[in-house]
Amino acid sequence: MITQLDRAAVTESVKRVVIAESRLSLRPADIEDHEPLNGEILRVNSLGFVGMLVRLEDELDIVLPDDLFVGRSFHTVHDLIEIVLSAAQASR
Amino acid sequence: MTDALLTSARAALAAAPPTGDPAYARYCRELAERLADHWPAVLKANAQDVTLAGERGLSPVLLDRLRLTDAHLGRLQQLTRAALSELAEVTAPDAGVPVGDWGVRLRTPKPLGVVFMVYEARPTVTVEGALLPVAVGNAVLLRGGKEIARTNGALSVVAREALEAAGLPAHLVTVLDDPDRTQLRALLKRPDAVDVLIPRGSPSLIDYCRSASSIPVIASGGGVNHLYVHRSADLDLAAEVALDSKLPEPTACNTAEMLLVDAEVAGDLVSAILRAAERDDRQVAVRLDPRVPRPGGRTGHRPWRIEDLHEHDLGREFLDATIGVRAVDGLDEALAHIRRYGSGHTEGVLARDAGVSAEFTRRADAAAIVVNGSLRLHDGPTLGLGSEISISTGRMHVRGPVTLGSLVTHSWVVEARGTLRSPLTASRP
Repeated sequence: MITQLDRAAVTESVKRVVIAESRLSLRPADIEDHEPLNGEILRVNSLGFVGMLVRLEDELDIVLPDDLFVGRSFHTVHDLIEIVLSAAQASR
Repeated sequence: MTDALLTSARAALAAAPPTGDPAYARYCRELAERLADHWPAVLKANAQDVTLAGERGLSPVLLDRLRLTDAHLGRLQQLTRAALSELAEVTAPDAGVPVGDWGVRLRTPKPLGVVFMVYEARPTVTVEGALLPVAVGNAVLLRGGKEIARTNGALSVVAREALEAAGLPAHLVTVLDDPDRTQLRALLKRPDAVDVLIPRGSPSLIDYCRSASSIPVIASGGGVNHLYVHRSADLDLAAEVALDSKLPEPTACNTAEMLLVDAEVAGDLVSAILRAAERDDRQVAVRLDPRVPRPGGRTGHRPWRIEDLHEHDLGREFLDATIGVRAVDGLDEALAHIRRYGSGHTEGVLARDAGVSAEFTRRADAAAIVVNGSLRLHDGPTLGLGSEISISTGRMHVRGPVTLGSLVTHSWVVEARGTLRSPLTASRP
């Protein structure tokens, strides 16, 4: 069962990673959950997934599947948070 | 598995001839020839990678990054020729400098050692990695993304054959075929066996390599680059420089993201940029901060568009044909902005006042500072520095183009002619 603390940690980590991947000088709190991953502010593409996966795994101390993002439809930060949360739940 | 890889790479490094040996020139030639021989097989493997990546939903833009064409072969062969022509200078013996009346000191080049390159989905990096570090005696481990696994498999055969034909140890080049991130982590934790880490790719990957490993890293921190336009500048030249610094390669690390312009000429600079864009029909989005006057009264065809510059645009790489314009109150404010938001890659100044340029050069801190010219001049071959494997924003060992000369270290050779240290020490005051 994912606790509220886990969700907060995943949200913070995901936002930190997408900010870094988009080469922005922002704080996680500056990014809304509904922010598009590839839009006006964020620029995330799938070739950056290796770096994002290893950073998320280390920050959250979880193991994520290699194909975490394959075949998934995700457009916003919230979508990404949900995918990582479900994978984190499965890995525990 | 990791131990076996590292043992093989270190054994190859130990067995390889010294830097400067003719075998490395042979290797450059063999690599070019075998690339051409195997190119049909490489393209076939690459087509499979591209098809699979398409089925996995990669966008057309990203598929283009994976795709190899005959034009890539030409560029890679040109790179091998360039590296070959640069080898002699990089590996030439040092003439030596007399030390007192007792000896001579000189430097002799040595490889950095085992170089671990981590990158994503550009298969040309596999060839660059198999060429440049190895040409000066290093062993390389090449880990590309799994999106190019088949292409890398084919390129691995090319490198292996070229090494053997040149008389070099086959394991000087190891193309890793295990996409598991466990192996990546394990290698990053082996500073005892890996001497240098060269990550190329997404910011997350580079940040991860920097923070997760104690192995020395040669990496670019990305290019959040600025052009400061002083009120003394030729504004038409500034406009041309701005567009040339942005539009030919909007995603390159040496492209311009933001113009910092003295407030009193900001409106005139924007007008000059729009005129320059219209002359050549260059599509560009210009984002203006609230202090910059909006252009008015322009009619007819407009290849440009005006947008608002937001707070989140400061310190970002747009990665498309967008450039920001921010008004500043002089050099001090421009430098303060660069210190806060710049990535230390490439900064530029445009001014007729030589004192301003000199002050900017003295106070701005970046791998390259361009005075009255395009930021895209910051490039190894363009600057006459030689072929480059990346542009480093690090502060140690190498900053700017990472050329063959940056991929070697050296030994001091002390020609002592029988001199003992004790008499020298005793003679000091």
